[in-house]
Amino acid sequence: MTARLDVDFTPAEGAMLRILGLIERRGYRIRELILAERPAHTSSLSILIEAHDAGRQPDTVARQLGNLFDVSSVTLSPSQQSACP
Amino acid sequence: MLSPAQRPPEPQPEQVSGARLVVEALERAGAEYIFGYPGGAIMPVYDALTGSSLKHILVRHEQAAALAADAYARVTGKAGVCLATSGPGATNLITGIANAFMDSVPMVAITGQVPTTLMGTDAFQEIDTFGLMMPIVKHSFLVRDPANIPHVFAQAFRIATSGRPGPVLIDLPKNVTNGFAPRCEPPSPQPQPPAFDGAAIAAADALIAAASKPLLYVGGGVAMAGAEEALRRFVARTAIPSVATLKGLGSIPTDDPTFIGMLGMHGSRAANIAVEECDLLICIGARFDDRATGKLASFAPNAKVIHLDADPSEIGKLRRAEVGFAGDIVAALDAFEATPDVGGWLAHCQGRKRLWAPRYDAPGQGIYAPALLKTLADKAGDGAIFTCDVGLHQMWVAQHCRFSRPQAHLTSGGLGTMGYGVPAGIGALLAEPDATVITVSGDGSFMMNVQELATLRRYRLPLKIVLIDNSQLGMVRQWQELFFEENFSEIDLSDNPDFSEVAHAFGIEAFTIDHRSQVAGAIDRLLGTSGPILMHVRIDPRENVWPLVPPNSPNVEMLEKRW
Repeated sequence: MTARLDVDFTPAEGAMLRILGLIERRGYRIRELILAERPAHTSSLSILIEAHDAGRQPDTVARQLGNLFDVSSVTLSPSQQSACP
Repeated sequence: MLSPAQRPPEPQPEQVSGARLVVEALERAGAEYIFGYPGGAIMPVYDALTGSSLKHILVRHEQAAALAADAYARVTGKAGVCLATSGPGATNLITGIANAFMDSVPMVAITGQVPTTLMGTDAFQEIDTFGLMMPIVKHSFLVRDPANIPHVFAQAFRIATSGRPGPVLIDLPKNVTNGFAPRCEPPSPQPQPPAFDGAAIAAADALIAAASKPLLYVGGGVAMAGAEEALRRFVARTAIPSVATLKGLGSIPTDDPTFIGMLGMHGSRAANIAVEECDLLICIGARFDDRATGKLASFAPNAKVIHLDADPSEIGKLRRAEVGFAGDIVAALDAFEATPDVGGWLAHCQGRKRLWAPRYDAPGQGIYAPALLKTLADKAGDGAIFTCDVGLHQMWVAQHCRFSRPQAHLTSGGLGTMGYGVPAGIGALLAEPDATVITVSGDGSFMMNVQELATLRRYRLPLKIVLIDNSQLGMVRQWQELFFEENFSEIDLSDNPDFSEVAHAFGIEAFTIDHRSQVAGAIDRLLGTSGPILMHVRIDPRENVWPLVPPNSPNVEMLEKRW
């Protein structure tokens, strides 16, 4: 199962590592990653994630990302993209 | 001769050193004690500590600094502060920081770092502290400019103590603490109004009113949110019975008639059966940890769930909640109005509690640890604070001691850190100097931070250590006995040193007992001694902790042996 996370964040020291590390540590593979610069010193990541096992709820990892202090918003949407073998 | 680029910066008028800014920021944040160990990269901060209002406790290993700061924070509710140098100093803090992270304890950990110009060059005592700590901190800062220090420290304390508390790392390169910047006072953060969802309150009230067998599942988050009094008001109003996690013990006094017991792997039969039978589980500041739930699919199988937690990501993480509250636990508890008729259900739970109460009349003349701990807790009284290590003794303390407040039971719940007990005792004694503080340890755990006896001696901290010695790694031995066909692999500690002699070598009073008849007098001596003291208790190596829920089994499948 895949899902897409759109994350707006402040690119502070370690912010990218914090976001990507949390996703990987919580049991997801990162399948696709698009980084965009935003005005006013913010950035945006669009991340396609795939759970290592079916029991994981993407909305939980979205809320855990929302707890990070560099992160200003997280939007979760289901992805139509099928996982590669 | 140094070139101009190599010379240290000269202070400009109205400027102070980064190290001085660190000390002033700590004072401004209300820090009183700092637990630490000096070294090269952090030396500028140690230099600036002199003459400040901060009291530095020199431990004998950095891990103990973090663990003592953790316990200090649990008792005071303030962020604990620990300090270490770069490289091995920082890596030695890791276990203590992880301990605070797992148990949601507010902490600010400060580490020295090699100068920014050397970072990334494998310099002497350089390690990527920021990267190493990332998975085990709530947030982290690498300060590159001394002018940022006041703001970073103010933010660090705010982050550590707000919402779901946790540890925050501040890594300080040496050229930053040696550099200069003007003083500035960061603005005080505006308090966030608590989130409050009226519709959720109404939905929860409807569930409570409709329930015939509601049960409170109380976790460590209650104390972290300062919600003990709100919880007690709620219980007084509704008489709903409760069970607690290891970290939730004391949020409702353990001798309260509505308290049924600890749930989970080593919980009481009455508590686990109550969870099995309840039709509404009101989870407050708990996270459905596997040690509490057993096989999750079988946990509270007949219950709807109301979940209150400071951390929104915990709601529904492992168990779907019919109603979830993320935010202010106190406000939510005080807003509930339903008063269900639970008299019959409460009496049923209390009857089970009496029926399956622990027995203390074990056969033989050897010392039965549960009976010793029960006597100790009764004699020490409600004001005493117990700190534990990890193992059989930890579970015996949870099962057989009494706690009238959560701050009276300091234990490494999430990480299970052997070696927590003595440093935690140090932190607790500094937090409440007038309290009777008792560390209960095992022979395996005690050796993990035995060097802190020197810290006790230096600061004349009257810690009372009860060392329960079965000459084994007891909990591992029990699991090998039950689940590995008695293949006792590497658990023999029969070549332990004479612990009384070890304590004497550190200048601490100590004595050994090994017979039941000695217990009462020994406890009187322990509690009556004004300075630090160690009571070494030899017990039967075959003694196990019961009940025990086998891993990945439902909590109702408790193994138990009785005489």
